[in-house]
Amino acid sequence: MQVTIILAAVTLLVFVALLLVFLSRVRAGKSPKLRRIAAFERLHRFNSRAIESGRPLHLSLGTGSTIDASTADSLAGLSVLEHLAERAAVTGVQPTVSMSDPTVMLFAQNTLRAAQSADPQQAADAYQHVRWIAPQPAAYAAGVMSLFSVDRVQSNVMVGKFGDEYLLMGEAAAQQGITQIGGASDPNTLPFIYTTAQETLLGEEIYAAGAYLQKRPAHIGSLLAQDTMRWLIFLLMLGGIILATLRG
Amino acid sequence: MTKPGRILATAVAVIAGLFVLADMFIARLPVAGLGNLQRAVSGTSFLLVSWAAIIFAFALFLGFYNVVSVHVKQIRANKPEAIYSIVLLVSLAATLLVGFWGGPNGAGSQFIFDYILQPLEATFFALLALFIATAAFRAFRVHNLESFFFVLFAVIVLLGQVPLGIYLWSEFPIIKDWILNVPTMAGVRGILLGVALGTIATGLRVLLAADRPYTD
Repeated sequence: MQVTIILAAVTLLVFVALLLVFLSRVRAGKSPKLRRIAAFERLHRFNSRAIESGRPLHLSLGTGSTIDASTADSLAGLSVLEHLAERAAVTGVQPTVSMSDPTVMLFAQNTLRAAQSADPQQAADAYQHVRWIAPQPAAYAAGVMSLFSVDRVQSNVMVGKFGDEYLLMGEAAAQQGITQIGGASDPNTLPFIYTTAQETLLGEEIYAAGAYLQKRPAHIGSLLAQDTMRWLIFLLMLGGIILATLRG
Repeated sequence: MTKPGRILATAVAVIAGLFVLADMFIARLPVAGLGNLQRAVSGTSFLLVSWAAIIFAFALFLGFYNVVSVHVKQIRANKPEAIYSIVLLVSLAATLLVGFWGGPNGAGSQFIFDYILQPLEATFFALLALFIATAAFRAFRVHNLESFFFVLFAVIVLLGQVPLGIYLWSEFPIIKDWILNVPTMAGVRGILLGVALGTIATGLRVLLAADRPYTD
């Protein structure tokens, strides 16, 4: 137990050190070239199509919360919303945003309002585009499925925490010919995303939204820290395998 | 949000986060003489986590307001779908009245839960079987190398699960087990490792105030 705690503390400290180092490097202008993620590129096209058609883009922030273990997933979805809200402030076509947790709703409202801060009337209208549907996953999925037809949604983006209800929403959108981007961290949800969405954000890719869409130094720095940590873990595992093999 | 407000919000978020994180480590350290510190950190951390539940309850009220305002607007707009909004608002009011009348554990609330909500949820989730079939029908079309492997592995796992597959070739269940236990498990562990690192990075950004989703 004590060893686990010490190991966790050391890992955290190494992570913090790496994050600070990479953050200062990125802020100094040493930004790396990020690999291509098709889903983020497609998101820009979704925006354009929503403007051309006059039909809204729907963003689902999932069934996660901001006060439990799913907070990181919800924040990833909110990063996507921030990007869409900034674009909406320029184009005037607001995305429709839905979620099942009321605390996420508050963050979503704040994000939309902040993006429209230059125009108080538009900021007030932005609240109408945030829909808290229901706290239960089944009821939430039912609400979103109805929203697709009632709001005549043009494109659908779902990034956050999802369970089995993802398939209900994703398949309903696919059957209506709505183009989709799906992203989740739960490996059990990924097959549903793969079979229903045109572009996918698998696992940790959802956490890269801030780095790819807003090019924020903190997000790019943390992406580099994540990659370095991954290599460290990989080398540790490799070393462990070699040691265990040599010991017989 | 004004500048002092932003600073205050950031300070509260960082201090609260640090207390809860410190509780994970300090409270579990078996070091003598840390008793008072451990109790203080654990107590504060517990209090902060309890406040989160209170915030959730208040957020639920705002969510309630959001539902009502969105559907009232739909009714006022006289859209063809307004009838659904009326049904929703009437159901909402009726459930609230039943809850106020007999309490959340009263016979009325229990009736709504047992005979309306649960069967509806179960029926709705039963649609998953149909949706899995239609999604699989679309996904099982080979259009590139990736989809070829997807279909190949899916067919082998499917044949390894059903009696027909065993009848056709007794090795199917063994291959299925290998697929699930070796390449699939390796992929899942890789994804989980990445997700864990992503979650830590997100948490650290908030703790270091490099990411402030709670401010403008």
